Amino acid sequence: MDVSEVLAAHKQKFKSVTVEGKLIPVDYDLGLIAAYDQNPVDEIELKDNAQLLLNEIFQLPTVSDDNGIMAMLPTPTTQLPREKPLPKPKPETRWEKFAKAKGIVKRKKERMVFDDNSGEYKPRWGYKGINDDGTKDWIIEVPQGSNPMEDQYEARREAKRERVDRNEKRQQRNLEEAVVAAKMDQRAIGRGQRPNMDNARAMKRKELENQILISKAATASAGKFDKGLKDDLKARGVRRQFAPNVVADMSNEKSESMSILNKIVGKNGEDLVNVRKVEARHKKAQM
Amino acid sequence: MLRKIVPRNARAKRFLKNREAKTEENIKTAIFIRGSKTSQIVNDALSDLYMLKKPHAINFTKKNEIHPFEDQSNLEFFSQKNDASLFVIGTHSKKRPHTLTFNRMFDHRTLDMLEVSLDNCTPMKDFKTPKSAIGMKPSFLFNGDMWDQHTHYKMFKSMLLDMYHGQTVEKVALAGLEYVISVTAGPLTPEGKPGKVYLRVYTITLKRSGVKLPRVELEEMGPSMDMTFGRITEAKPEDWKQALKVPRELKPKKKKNISRDEMGDTVGRVHLGRQDFEKIQTRKMKGLKKRATEEDGDSAGAEKRQRVDDSDDEE
Repeated sequence: MDVSEVLAAHKQKFKSVTVEGKLIPVDYDLGLIAAYDQNPVDEIELKDNAQLLLNEIFQLPTVSDDNGIMAMLPTPTTQLPREKPLPKPKPETRWEKFAKAKGIVKRKKERMVFDDNSGEYKPRWGYKGINDDGTKDWIIEVPQGSNPMEDQYEARREAKRERVDRNEKRQQRNLEEAVVAAKMDQRAIGRGQRPNMDNARAMKRKELENQILISKAATASAGKFDKGLKDDLKARGVRRQFAPNVVADMSNEKSESMSILNKIVGKNGEDLVNVRKVEARHKKAQM
Repeated sequence: MLRKIVPRNARAKRFLKNREAKTEENIKTAIFIRGSKTSQIVNDALSDLYMLKKPHAINFTKKNEIHPFEDQSNLEFFSQKNDASLFVIGTHSKKRPHTLTFNRMFDHRTLDMLEVSLDNCTPMKDFKTPKSAIGMKPSFLFNGDMWDQHTHYKMFKSMLLDMYHGQTVEKVALAGLEYVISVTAGPLTPEGKPGKVYLRVYTITLKRSGVKLPRVELEEMGPSMDMTFGRITEAKPEDWKQALKVPRELKPKKKKNISRDEMGDTVGRVHLGRQDFEKIQTRKMKGLKKRATEEDGDSAGAEKRQRVDDSDDEE
């Protein structure tokens, strides 16, 4: 018996999976499991298109999984809009800058660590964690030279609290600097990059210096007769300005003087005299 | 405006973090809203579209005074409150009967909007056939030549893909391909206006075919909708540009020394490293063959000569 006959007979039992008669080949976006058939509508056979699409999907490389046989999809070619803008990069903290300069790389640590005292594994931090800094010890030796009546537990707790507070302050400082840096470095933000933090730090330093200078000058003589220190801060870029002695137009000088006067006595002299008070006093004197 | 929520516990914090902008986004949630007046056709269409979108869908069963083309502030509020970015609004009026409005949001602001009116609808429940399971990934068929040519069709295609494609995944279970959404674009009207769109949904049955590829059988499961395009609001170019940005992490990495030529063939450049000419195999000839005994004698002779030279120098 001829084998080809048997094969043909076997093939006869099933309908064909091949599709013919497409004038324009069908486009696929297999990442989205989609087919785009550009042929004129009246010539399109829906079932054929579904067959074509699934043929493509079934020809993709497959892997076996818990969910059965999975086809590996390519990345989609059709662009779909995002729901939200790209996430903004987090600004660099002072520690990150330092770590980068020193070449310190963050490494993953195990969450559970062996605790020698109890002989068990315990979380590195958090509930029932080992980072209690000795506040949970059942006995503490009084250190030499310290007050024997002092509560050593309280001292350790205090030390820990101080450490936490200091860290929180640093976090706060990073946040504040990040806000300033974001304002100053809009260009990097627009490009989706980290803002330059050095600007913010320099500006903060400058602001502090200014404040120091102002407070230094806040003496009876406006700092004129104060003895300066050797390497003390000096006001930079301050020029004394003098108005010209002779001017043709006096209106400017007048307006300046008026503005000072207004500042002191209020506009139109409204606040110059407390009328109610004067009236009351006058009445009292008459009686 | 929504009040700013300050998380007070870790669970709330995680929840809010999930809502933040991220590189790989969540599946977009769709909200299905009934307008102040709806018809049975609109209600059926909304509930069917909702069933197909489940579980990433919210159904608003109460009526809302919403006119999406006049004022989107309500929608923007719903978008923020529910972290949803897709809306289907069903309305019915004398001027625009049986209308669905598809609205898409970017950053909780309206990106684009498209209105369709339903002409000929059969809801899912009228097809007495087995339905696909909820939350399965659909296949899409877009038939007709209008899909890339006209704004209305383009937007409808993009909206439909956006709403139902679910998560962009690397792999898909072959047994999970249960249904196919087929949309056929009718031709433009004689006045050059966008024509009709025919939306059909079929379940897929895979039959043996005698070869490795299965034979596909389709059975309509509903809904079936014929739609005519109405009003449209296109996305602003700058918003659209922002929305299409791909994060650097998700961009395909460039492979060095591999390129594609005009014919679409992949061309690679391979570096073999420096060739060692000492070890290169040239043409073999009998005369050049080294003989072990002769070589020994030669080297001895060289040594002798060397010694003679040395003595000459001394003299």
